[in-house]
Amino acid sequence: MVKLDQINISKDGLTKFFSPIEAEILRVLWSEGEMMTSELTEKTNIPLTSIAGTLDRLVKAGYANRRVDTVNGRVRYIYAPTSSEEEVASEITTKILDSLVDTFGPLALENFSKYSDKK
Amino acid sequence: MNLFGEINCLGLCLKTSEIASLVALLITISIALLAAGFIIKNPKYRLSTFVSAQLSVLLAIFATFYLMKCEEMLTIYLYLGYAGISFVMIFGIIRFYDRLLIKRLNAKPAGSIMKWTQEFVDRMTSATVYYYDSAVPRAFAAGRSIFVSLGLLELLNDDELKAVLAHEAWHIRNNSRTPYLKQLALMTFSSPKGSEIEYLADSFAARIAGSEALSSARRKVDKVFI
Repeated sequence: MVKLDQINISKDGLTKFFSPIEAEILRVLWSEGEMMTSELTEKTNIPLTSIAGTLDRLVKAGYANRRVDTVNGRVRYIYAPTSSEEEVASEITTKILDSLVDTFGPLALENFSKYSDKK
Repeated sequence: MNLFGEINCLGLCLKTSEIASLVALLITISIALLAAGFIIKNPKYRLSTFVSAQLSVLLAIFATFYLMKCEEMLTIYLYLGYAGISFVMIFGIIRFYDRLLIKRLNAKPAGSIMKWTQEFVDRMTSATVYYYDSAVPRAFAAGRSIFVSLGLLELLNDDELKAVLAHEAWHIRNNSRTPYLKQLALMTFSSPKGSEIEYLADSFAARIAGSEALSSARRKVDKVFI
């Protein structure tokens, strides 16, 4: 879950900021939109016993939301991402930039402008 | 009142008292019953031998206090205090525990989303079925309430769910007795026998919903309904 103390820049892709299972779920949710639990386990290929706790955490942390759907006397969760990939990306970027400015002050800002000039 | 004095006194009293042999007999009986509990296969008899062993340990404890014939004993105060506090904890908490859980889990009556679950439980015992918001499949009973997570309702088919509900209903039906088991276990410094109780609840569930449904529910959600 995106907490600054858990960011690990040595890892690949989204797993820098999320656990591998969280990253996998978010990737699937962003590309497919609304999904049932059974579809999520199928698409991510993660067994329900491992995915269920993570889904609870993602919902609690606000990255996903779910509603209860009743159909033919059965109940099921329908999951959806709370914010788009772009919104999460900008949230993470802001957090990291904030922490850099917090630590290095003007030095960090100087490097940002050099960096954007280069790009 | 000092502890070492009392221990010395205990040795002396055991040597001189007439009922020392009674204490010895009670302790032998307890050990024999405990040993028998390990050999017996039937969980119902196992449980009752275990309870008898604990009762005989309790008698031995009180006989020991009696034979020491002291006016004021620190150990007996400590022991009675311990028994009293555990009694309040076990019986006090159990009365309110399900109310507390309903609040904490923000649980809602399961009858409102799956009507038949409440009707099914009504036929076995008087308890309310609650569901709470979690994808992790789980079921448990407390007080006069059965709690199931939405993840469990989602995962199991009707027959499997019936097996789980019957298992929990058995707990509710016998809940009035389990606190005594816990209290007894605490007072004799042993652990309550959980696995036998679970086994009895499972055999009831198998009778109600069929062993096929029970084992398939166990396979799906292993160990998450207790």
